[in-house]
Amino acid sequence: MKKILLSIGLSVLVTAWTFGQQTCATAQIITVNTYGTPSINGTEVPPIVCSTGGTGATAANWYKYTPTQDFAVTITTDFISNGNIDNRVQIYSGSCGALICVAGDDDSGTNALCVASFNATAGTDYFIVFDNRWSSSGFMFQLIEDTIIVPNDSIVSWSPVSTSSITGSSLGVVDMNGDFLDDIVSVTSTNIQIHQQNSTGSFTPVNYTTSAAQFTPSWSLAVGDYNADGYNDLLYGGGSGVTFMESDGLGTGYTQVSGSQYVFSQRSNFVDINNDGHLDAFVCHDVDPNVYYLNDGTGTLTFNQGGLGDHPDGGNYGSIWVDYNNDRLPDLFIAKCRGGAGTAKINELHKNNGNGTFTNVSVQSNLADPIQTWSSAWNDFDNDGWMDVVVGISSSADGMHKFMHNNGDGTFSNITAGSGLETYLGMSTEYASYDFNNDGFADVFTPGTILYNNGNNTFTAHTIPMTAGAVGDLNNDGFLDMQNGTTTYFNNGNLNSWLTVTLQGTTSNLNGIGARVEIYGAWGKQIRDVRAGVGFRYMGTLNAHFGIGAATLIDSLRVLWPSGNKDVICNPNKNSVIHIIENSAPVATAIFNANSTNVDEFESVNFTDASTPCPTAWNWSINPTTGWNFSNGTTSTSQNPTITFDIPGTYEVSLVASNSNGNSINQSTETIVVNSNVGIATNNKVNISIHPNPVEDLVYIGLNQLKIKSIKIASVLGAQVDADLDKSSNTIDVTHLNAGTYFLSVTTENDDVIITRFIKK
Amino acid sequence: MRRIYSLFFFLFIGAVLLFNACKKDPIEPLPAADTTQNPVPTPTPNPLPTPVPTGVSVDLTTVPYTKLSEYRFFTGALKDQIPADNVFPYKPASSLFTDYALKKRFVWLPSGTKATYLADNKILDLPVGAALIKTFYYDNTEPSNTTRIIETRIMIRKSTGWIFAEYVWNNEQTDATLQMNGSYTPVAWSQNGTSTSVNYRIPSETECLTCHKSNSNPIPIGIQPQNLNNDYPFASGNANQLQYWISKGILENNLPSTIVSTIDYHDESQPLKTRLRSYLDINCAHCHRENSHCDYRPLRLAFSETLLSANMGLCVTPDENIDPMLIQIIVPGNIAKSVMHFRLNSIDENTRMPLLGRSVVDEVGVQLLRDYILSIDDCND
Repeated sequence: MKKILLSIGLSVLVTAWTFGQQTCATAQIITVNTYGTPSINGTEVPPIVCSTGGTGATAANWYKYTPTQDFAVTITTDFISNGNIDNRVQIYSGSCGALICVAGDDDSGTNALCVASFNATAGTDYFIVFDNRWSSSGFMFQLIEDTIIVPNDSIVSWSPVSTSSITGSSLGVVDMNGDFLDDIVSVTSTNIQIHQQNSTGSFTPVNYTTSAAQFTPSWSLAVGDYNADGYNDLLYGGGSGVTFMESDGLGTGYTQVSGSQYVFSQRSNFVDINNDGHLDAFVCHDVDPNVYYLNDGTGTLTFNQGGLGDHPDGGNYGSIWVDYNNDRLPDLFIAKCRGGAGTAKINELHKNNGNGTFTNVSVQSNLADPIQTWSSAWNDFDNDGWMDVVVGISSSADGMHKFMHNNGDGTFSNITAGSGLETYLGMSTEYASYDFNNDGFADVFTPGTILYNNGNNTFTAHTIPMTAGAVGDLNNDGFLDMQNGTTTYFNNGNLNSWLTVTLQGTTSNLNGIGARVEIYGAWGKQIRDVRAGVGFRYMGTLNAHFGIGAATLIDSLRVLWPSGNKDVICNPNKNSVIHIIENSAPVATAIFNANSTNVDEFESVNFTDASTPCPTAWNWSINPTTGWNFSNGTTSTSQNPTITFDIPGTYEVSLVASNSNGNSINQSTETIVVNSNVGIATNNKVNISIHPNPVEDLVYIGLNQLKIKSIKIASVLGAQVDADLDKSSNTIDVTHLNAGTYFLSVTTENDDVIITRFIKK
Repeated sequence: MRRIYSLFFFLFIGAVLLFNACKKDPIEPLPAADTTQNPVPTPTPNPLPTPVPTGVSVDLTTVPYTKLSEYRFFTGALKDQIPADNVFPYKPASSLFTDYALKKRFVWLPSGTKATYLADNKILDLPVGAALIKTFYYDNTEPSNTTRIIETRIMIRKSTGWIFAEYVWNNEQTDATLQMNGSYTPVAWSQNGTSTSVNYRIPSETECLTCHKSNSNPIPIGIQPQNLNNDYPFASGNANQLQYWISKGILENNLPSTIVSTIDYHDESQPLKTRLRSYLDINCAHCHRENSHCDYRPLRLAFSETLLSANMGLCVTPDENIDPMLIQIIVPGNIAKSVMHFRLNSIDENTRMPLLGRSVVDEVGVQLLRDYILSIDDCND
């Protein structure tokens, strides 16, 4: 390594030279300035590594900085004069002996130089420490103070917490012990280690020794309970084959089941491929047609090859099972990659026909693209009820990122232009979609970056400290966290609300993998597919997670199971975890109450709906079909109608209620008895007759010799209408009235009031 | 699929038999000889004598044969690998590291045909009917310090292009059988006095193709003029391989006066960068050149392309962020931050390079890379 020392010429730039700073206690005070630091030889090694690069430093130079006011502070060594020096910085608050990480950086500058930024609080001591992890050479550095820019609260920050007991590859964040709290899964060839999440937020490590895995999960891990014993099983996608670690039904261990077939595994998944209710497994093959393992229902898997991406050269990297056409069957999208001029790199979409066969619809869907991609992020990014996709690049050799909008008719449209993705130049093998800021719009995670969904089909990239890793909720706070090796990055969250849904299949597979989960509210509709195996390598949570932003109410939650069963939960509480067992809340039950079941004619009855759960539509029917009217502006589809009964008799009032699952199976019925009060005077009985009825022009009133004093005529809605009485003939001319039913109120010379009705033709 | 234990048992028994066989029948080191064919005697009287076929057999209508012996590429005991008439040994200047396996390579062309020079860095254009034979073996295998031949890989040029034929040797080391689906076999041997073992991977046909292809078409790798423009110890004495091929009538005599050539990367008298470039060419370029398995990555590691240091990854940011610490493919003077060093030094299936063909680290190759990284100061090497 070339040894670059600060030259005399360089010293012109350095406004302050520093001396050797041996320890925290003797740290030199620095302020806004450019400094030269001599060879790193301080004896106190930083106690915690806040940056990347790990342990191994043996010396450090210590500085102390105490701002006079709040500043955004940058410590940089990114100067051309520092050349190839590989330096590193740790920044702490607290006090010597009790330091707390604030920031740290290894290589954010040019080549291997470092640049670290942090928000500093006035009057707080910050220790800025350069260690010799990579080099002991001296160099120049600068402390810069800037105004603090208040971060956009639509993004979230992260707190790293290291768990030193983790051993092996931390490939999974998924529940393993049946409590639906995500656990940390780390694997070696002979051990499955599960850090079980406790309800208190801590972890309990449990180790299960296994026989030496014939194939280790070097390319991917998938998790699902294929033997349906209540404990999730594991699939190791290895470079030459596939190993299953099958749970023993007791939660006490795993048995290895390895296939003899050569499989250059890439992404692997658990999914019920043939829709028989049993969880199958799928593995992308790098250099051959894809392979899958069909479950006979006893947990015995049978190797299959053919029918699910059969390009002879393979090129299969990122399989993801997504219901793109809303037919409630999981379809298969394969992110593909391959050098050269062949066709193995062209992405594929396979439509599930529901009978174990699939149809390649890559071309007609408009997703047959040669983009060099290892995984794709699927979610309904605009909450229109259809799954969209961000196809992320691993290499720019055959095109850039693509954002494809699902048109709902089996085709996708390219809406990359203007989405922000056309200017995002990062590349990775990992792309996965979750709502990290719980704003109700699914984001895209790729190592080092979250592409936050702005809610209008645009994304904004924000740098994050995490590299590739599994995603889940590791402290059950409703904000999704990430695992990187032994470090958990806890999402610090924000004020947004959320809902987490955990599933337990009965007719469908036990995990509910392949289920569609929907929530309805002020936002309209949000959807998730339950997927085992997203991104390229890791296994994330099987719980469906939603953010709902500032909304306070969730109208309903619906689960569409792979079996076809549907469940609806009404008004789930925000910020809660809802557990749904398949078919526990299948359809609406129609129920209603009437405020009276025995009324006089022309009286109204108020009907009040009490259907469950979450009725969204009502259909009232009354038998017989005449002699009554909806009143008070209500109709046959009102939730709480009012019905006025004009004709005496017995009426059957029935309700069929609907919710998002469809109509109630049984209708609810109530009998209403309507009594006649026609011809009943207010004080005594007076017989009255009218004819003809129905009438066209003149109606004659017969009143037993009594003389009529006055009349009133009103419509059934109570509106008075004008009509003249010919007292000589006791007739009323109603020629001018509209057709319909009218009340006729007759006052006799004795001031008796008699009400009857007639129908105008 | 669940009943795999019987398979394990079978493999175990097979391995025991194999070692016993080796123990009873030690194999002499293979001579690199170009000998004339010996007549094969008829061992026992035959009431209906049939003519004993002689000479190499490559019938393009029936290859690949079931047994390696059917080609009659070798005379005498098959395990001795004594090439038959018109079967010639060759060796590229630098060779691919495959878990320390030793190799014997041979070329055979149909009578009257010649290979054609195309360019220094392009494989010789071999005529239809030509065959390339490569045998993989270990010396000093445990427990009895014997030679064990694992596999013989053959590529045959048909009129429709090259095909692969993979032969796995039997425990008795008397013949090898066509097996195109790939398998593992444990090998333990003494490597420079150190007991070493690997679970040796015998490739499947698709694994062969992964490295041996241009677009989707199978091709050989080693027989580029740049790799053969050096001396080989033929039975008749040391000779330049290309000139030897011409003298034997299997290569057209139209070579340019100079050929830009790779060297043996072990040769410490050569410049460090030339050694590394030769190493990368034979170990990496089959996937890191145009129309190859991984040509979507920015690396171009063929000898003819690595004069441009950026093609070798010098100061080039990797497409894939394996670890934030690994900031460039090669960082001048900085081994720990160089992706290439990390990958060459890795044995994990998902991070090691080359991806196929090795399960242990090639310490010599990695040291060569380290020496190179430490020798450079900036991006302009």
